[in-house]
Amino acid sequence: MSLMHYLVLSGILFTIGAVTVLVRRNAILAFMGVELMLNSCNLALVAFSRVHGTLTGQVMAFYVMVVAAAEVVVGLAIIVSIYRARRTVSVDEPSLLRN
Amino acid sequence: MNPYVPILIMMGVAAVMAIAGLATSAIIGPKTYNRAKLEAYECGIMPTPHALGKGRFNIKYYLVAMTFIVFDIEVVFLYPWAVAFSDLAVFGLVAMLGFIALITVPYIYEWRRGALDWD
Amino acid sequence: MTTFQPPVIDWAALTPVLVIVGAGVLGVLVAAFAPAARRRSIQVVVALLAPLAALGAVAWRWSEVVGGGESTFVAGQLAEDGFGLAAQMILLVIALVGFAVLASRLPGGEDAFTPQGASAPGSAYEEAARKAGLEQTEVYPLALFSLAGMLVFTMANDLLVLFVALEVLSLPLYVLTALARRRRVLSQEAALKYFLLGAFSSAIFLFGVALLFGYSASLTYADIGTAATASVGMDGMAVVGLLMVLTGLLFKVGAVPFHAWVPDVYQGAPTPVTGFMAAATKTAAFAAIARLLYVAAPGFAWDVEPALWVVAIASMLVGTVLAIVQTDIKRTLAYSSVAHAGFALVAIVSLPEGGPDALLFYLLAYSFATVGAFAVVTLVRERDDAGNVTGEATHLSQWAGLGRRSPVLAAAMALFLLSFAGIPLTAGFLGKFTAFVAAADGGAWPLVAVAVLASIAAAFFYVRVIVLMFFTRPEESDEPQRQRAQAVAPGALTRVALVVCAAGTLVLGVWPTPVLDLLAQAARFVV
Repeated sequence: MSLMHYLVLSGILFTIGAVTVLVRRNAILAFMGVELMLNSCNLALVAFSRVHGTLTGQVMAFYVMVVAAAEVVVGLAIIVSIYRARRTVSVDEPSLLRN
Repeated sequence: MNPYVPILIMMGVAAVMAIAGLATSAIIGPKTYNRAKLEAYECGIMPTPHALGKGRFNIKYYLVAMTFIVFDIEVVFLYPWAVAFSDLAVFGLVAMLGFIALITVPYIYEWRRGALDWD
Repeated sequence: MTTFQPPVIDWAALTPVLVIVGAGVLGVLVAAFAPAARRRSIQVVVALLAPLAALGAVAWRWSEVVGGGESTFVAGQLAEDGFGLAAQMILLVIALVGFAVLASRLPGGEDAFTPQGASAPGSAYEEAARKAGLEQTEVYPLALFSLAGMLVFTMANDLLVLFVALEVLSLPLYVLTALARRRRVLSQEAALKYFLLGAFSSAIFLFGVALLFGYSASLTYADIGTAATASVGMDGMAVVGLLMVLTGLLFKVGAVPFHAWVPDVYQGAPTPVTGFMAAATKTAAFAAIARLLYVAAPGFAWDVEPALWVVAIASMLVGTVLAIVQTDIKRTLAYSSVAHAGFALVAIVSLPEGGPDALLFYLLAYSFATVGAFAVVTLVRERDDAGNVTGEATHLSQWAGLGRRSPVLAAAMALFLLSFAGIPLTAGFLGKFTAFVAAADGGAWPLVAVAVLASIAAAFFYVRVIVLMFFTRPEESDEPQRQRAQAVAPGALTRVALVVCAAGTLVLGVWPTPVLDLLAQAARFVV
């Protein structure tokens, strides 16, 4: 298992996450795609951290986790409030913003 | 031998055991269905929201979930701090106390504004 | 294993940030303990005094630092230098006028925010909250936390700090976007869109951080810059990483092709929030881009510059063309802000030679006009049949003849629009002029040519709005009376904010020398 394996895996996860965000119309699923992207970044950071023999990347990964948690809270709050108003979380429903 | 091979073997064994268990019970187990068996498992109490389709989860569950995430994640910082406690000495202690004090502020806010009351 | 050395923290350099964060924490405690009736007045006082105090702190740091006192601290993660302090000063001025608009109420006593954010739009609960006169006073601490993130953004000298500051400034803005009093479903949809695209861009930003870390084994700008000159191979990875980090930052300024959220969010967010967000986020993000390019990335200038050129040209053209076809004043201003992101990028492209003072002056001029223009939008309202003031009249046709009914307000709007257009004797003209001259000095002639052409085309739609306000007679026949825009009398706070913005726009346009001198002597980076 060389650095390359980790990077390729991280790249694949990142791409899956990005495609999920761009393709899925359900806000929760799109949001899960973002989380997958963040975690793929964590994998890359930790792998690089090990190769370089410094802890900086791992510390960064901790911060990313905390920030991701904060993001989950804000995101879910917005999504739940929209669900209560519209009974759907599709990002494609007839939207007031499309004039 | 590559050190990851044993892990692969273990994953294989685990998969076989899980599938074998499910298959065995599906083949030789008795098949009876009653109401209690079809209900959501709630540790013996009556399931509160009438499961799928009929009702929705109370919004309070989401509030608790969000509150939990916010306060749960601070452990990410507490754990490495505890591991390196003696090295970090006074600087680490003061920094962590500051962090906890800041985390306490939203806690007080939630408490005072009633986010922690169930009813 | 080496023994742990506590990092040196220069608390004095952090005073402006600490004042704002402290005020935000205080605001949360006020929301927890103060009786509901007095909450709002306390929050407003805190939210207005904090930027004022922080401005004093910045002035003090300025006298200590500018001219030799520049330094980096916390193991090189934060930088205190003239450029950062100047950007902080601009941010705090925006915050002062922005918060004043944020806090003002209509004559009827309603503010711009929903009485109860947790209530579903149109529900009985919402109606009850409105009748009970509840107010969502949490908006003030949220705005303060966002401001704190922006202040750190200008000092960040390290990708970890940059990332955390990015999120601290973004998350409160997502929530604030969802809290409009009127057209709440629109506001919530805008927040969802802003949030999803913002989180997406943060993830791209973060992957870029990971690649840059892999390249240089460090997150601080200085080390990345050193690694770039040391030529250790893997340059491709570093360039891709840098471009991904820039993508995240360019998303925040709303440059094409990362502008998809701008019109929807600017339209859906409560208008005072839009004004603050448009001006302050742009200022903070451009300051961060400038520091990143100047300190971490000079080694990659050749690789990054073409991408910046493309983004700048695309922003100017797309922003200008799409602004012309809009029929909603908030969307028009949103696309115009996309175009302005392109103009500011012209100043950035010229960076090492042109110096960052042109960028800072441009941002200051743009901010005054933006906060002012959106403050005017908050005052132009529809009325229902009974004559009660209702939602904002944002359709351009409703603005016809506004200049006859409320000449002073329309004149202020015209001044801000002329400044956007870059007409002489306004701040916007000198902002564009200094930016373009700096870019031309740096050899970016083609870019300047496009920028000048885009400015001329952009002048068309600003002038169109002015003509609409002053010289168009509203068509009485096909529009009922109540549909027409009526300006309401501004509250004291909005009045002050408007006067400050208008005065700033005029003074910077007529007599800019002191400000330009101040920025020129200060705008230097510590490496």
